[in-house]
Amino acid sequence: MHAVSGVSFALDEGEALGLAGESGCGKTTTALALMRLLPYNGRIISGSIVFRGRDLVKASDMRIRKVRWKDISIIFQGAMNSLNPVRNIGQQIAEPIILHEKVEEDAAMDRVGELLELVGINRERRRDFPHEFSGGMRQRVMIAMALACNPKLVIADEPVTALDVMIQAQILELLERLRKELHLSMILISHDLSVMAETCEKVAIMYGGKMMEVGKTVDVFTDPKHPYTQGLVAAFPDIRGQRTMPASIPGDVPSLINPPTGCVFHPRCKFAFDRCIAAEPALAEVTPGRRAACFLYPEVSEVPPRTITMETH
Amino acid sequence: MRAVDGVSFDVKRGEVFCLVGESGCGKTTTGKALLRLVDATEGDVFFEIPTDEYRRYEELRSRGAPDAAARIDAIRRKYSFSWKEHLAWDTRQILTWLGAVAAAFVLGLGLPAFAAAVVPGALVDTGFIIGASLLCGLLIGVIASLPPTRPSTRTPAGLALLSILAFNLLPIVAGLGWPATLPNAPSDALGISARVWGSATFAMLLGVIFAPAAAGGASKILLGRRRETEGLLGIKMRTLRRRLHLIFQDPYESLNPKQSVFEIVSEPLVVNRIAHDPEEIAALVSRSLEDAGLRPAGEFVLRFPHELSGGQRQRVSIAAALALEPDFIVADEPVSMLDVSIRTEILQLMMDLREKRGLTYLFITHDLSLAWILADRLAVMYLGKIVEQGTAEQVISRPKHPYTQALISVVPSPDPRHLAKRTILKGERPDAVNIPSGCRFHPRCPLAFEKCGWSADEVADELRSLSAGGLLPEIAGIQVQNPGTVAIGIVPGMTPGSAAANLRRVASENRDSRLALKGIADIRENGDAIRVTLQAWEEPVLVELEPGNAVACHLVTPPAESVPTVTA
Repeated sequence: MHAVSGVSFALDEGEALGLAGESGCGKTTTALALMRLLPYNGRIISGSIVFRGRDLVKASDMRIRKVRWKDISIIFQGAMNSLNPVRNIGQQIAEPIILHEKVEEDAAMDRVGELLELVGINRERRRDFPHEFSGGMRQRVMIAMALACNPKLVIADEPVTALDVMIQAQILELLERLRKELHLSMILISHDLSVMAETCEKVAIMYGGKMMEVGKTVDVFTDPKHPYTQGLVAAFPDIRGQRTMPASIPGDVPSLINPPTGCVFHPRCKFAFDRCIAAEPALAEVTPGRRAACFLYPEVSEVPPRTITMETH
Repeated sequence: MRAVDGVSFDVKRGEVFCLVGESGCGKTTTGKALLRLVDATEGDVFFEIPTDEYRRYEELRSRGAPDAAARIDAIRRKYSFSWKEHLAWDTRQILTWLGAVAAAFVLGLGLPAFAAAVVPGALVDTGFIIGASLLCGLLIGVIASLPPTRPSTRTPAGLALLSILAFNLLPIVAGLGWPATLPNAPSDALGISARVWGSATFAMLLGVIFAPAAAGGASKILLGRRRETEGLLGIKMRTLRRRLHLIFQDPYESLNPKQSVFEIVSEPLVVNRIAHDPEEIAALVSRSLEDAGLRPAGEFVLRFPHELSGGQRQRVSIAAALALEPDFIVADEPVSMLDVSIRTEILQLMMDLREKRGLTYLFITHDLSLAWILADRLAVMYLGKIVEQGTAEQVISRPKHPYTQALISVVPSPDPRHLAKRTILKGERPDAVNIPSGCRFHPRCPLAFEKCGWSADEVADELRSLSAGGLLPEIAGIQVQNPGTVAIGIVPGMTPGSAAANLRRVASENRDSRLALKGIADIRENGDAIRVTLQAWEEPVLVELEPGNAVACHLVTPPAESVPTVTA
């Protein structure tokens, strides 16, 4: 089963990319593949992940272990469940520091204090256990942990999903500030387009394990090219916009076990024609700086060059 | 702990009313209390109350006239289903009832004797009389020991009438009705009468004394059990439940995985005895499913929840709610677990059903942008209180409460051109067991001022932090003396006068960055120490600014100058 295929994007240093899509569209799988963290029953069949000139797909396990957390770190989905409940947060944040930087525990603990202050938690709280923190605070701990070894790229997987709007704003503001201060690159994964609109320069829209559209956030949201993006953007109610019911996309998210032929979106697409059922569109540049995978645009070809492909047994 | 306090709103027929707020603000608790899925400790939930009756209720509550309580109870008896009537009988009722029983008893002795004298053959069979009077006694006992649910129908006078009837009817009927079964007609009328009188009296005494006690005991046990499980208004509530329904948040958890769609949707029909005939049930189920957008229904009835997608599951929940043809639906975050592309369809379905069936919704959501497109009117809650209420335009386009303003400013917009200036509040919402004094929002409010309810602890903490920053070198110790004052000690060698002057200066310089300092009303030397007196405050209440738009904030509606002193 191909969970994700035809995914390709590039990220500059200090840039933020939003990976958007509905549940089950392969956002998290893509992120895990980037760090070579796929579960035992998944693997990358073909494609390349080039990080600072080195292909991570071909790198050895030892090599990858050095890259993980040191160069690329991840803020996992669900801060509530990603922390070990029986160890205090100081120990948990210090663990990658001790492993990667080969420093003594005391030095690591000093670094933990700095990190906690960086994310707005009093350094004295490093001996507290996860249950002593609220949801927003735990998310801050997760962020501190991701920053422990000064990574170049942070992948934030639904960092604000279960949080209240106000806490959500606090966390997004924190991520934004850290990104500027530490000159981080970031991949922000979310199902919520409105979160991306305010934080990411670039956005990639995924659907059914495929990438539908990639481009500058402002352009993608104001002038979406792919019918799915058009539907998705219209489906979000806008509190600063008209008081009308947003448009809906009829139908359901496709099953990955039995995906539709051709374009994955064709069963729900109002523009679908014969070619969409027969063949699969590939991502191609439709306007300068924007790529979309849709046969409505003459630039789009049929044979998909698979960049990252995963197979599950 | 009061999770929700002082919440009052009305939902008009055919309206969508939204309750908005962050998690833990009491939205769901309020929704559940409305349906009596949790019992409120105080207050009323009225259903289908005419507007003028409701106005009368409001009037009675605000005026506090001596007979107001009784009149409010009368309204409650008619329209409230959250209200449980006071169960105990008062002394007067007990005395009246005892009098009525005594009168019945005397009459009960007299009439049989009269019957025995007049009607030949009456009241001869002693066994029958004993049986009959025991039965009467039992009957009276059962009725008397029931607590009064509706005093109007069971006043003491009515009871007395019932007792008399019960005491007398049966013996007389017994005498008149079955002459054939009686032994030979008595020759000595007087002698027989005396014998009958004696045995009848004895039997009735037995009946009246023992039977009520036994009946009382039995009925107390039965009633107690019933009250425990359903409350006194249990029977009434059950009929109301059909008309009030709930759609839950998580379609992945609210459907029983072991039940098929048919079982889930038909269960309320069977439980509420709406349909018995299998064919009728099947027809109702498929109609509900098709109304909920699951077409053709035949394809779905035999499926189990795991065979459905999230959107379809939520449609099944809606179908189960629709099966009973409710009038009022509490929808608790019905789309928050669904993907965006499916969400609109469910919302559209709910709104279509409102048109088609005249449904009224109480829509509970944390998502202000949803409230914006759905709500006719909405209420914003913070920490168990409504802070602002009004139509969607009033609250969202022109928010007046600082909390609403901040909340709206941080709602992300999918249109990057609509970026707004965000007001990000510091900190997190306080725990509901530790509710701030005064306005509950003041510790996080960026606009908080003198009257918002700064407590002595907050002021003392702020002074301690200033002191720790080295700004107050003359000060040695800061202590909360009582809710309205903070006592400050002075370093030996310093004069209280200059220390107080310095404190005054520092406090006024920092009051815009440390808002708690605004709570200081006065700084004065007090012997060797300094006394800091705090501003008086009162909790803001919802004040109607324009029709339908109410806000609870001192900034919007400044409190009167003559505020009562603090009682924190």
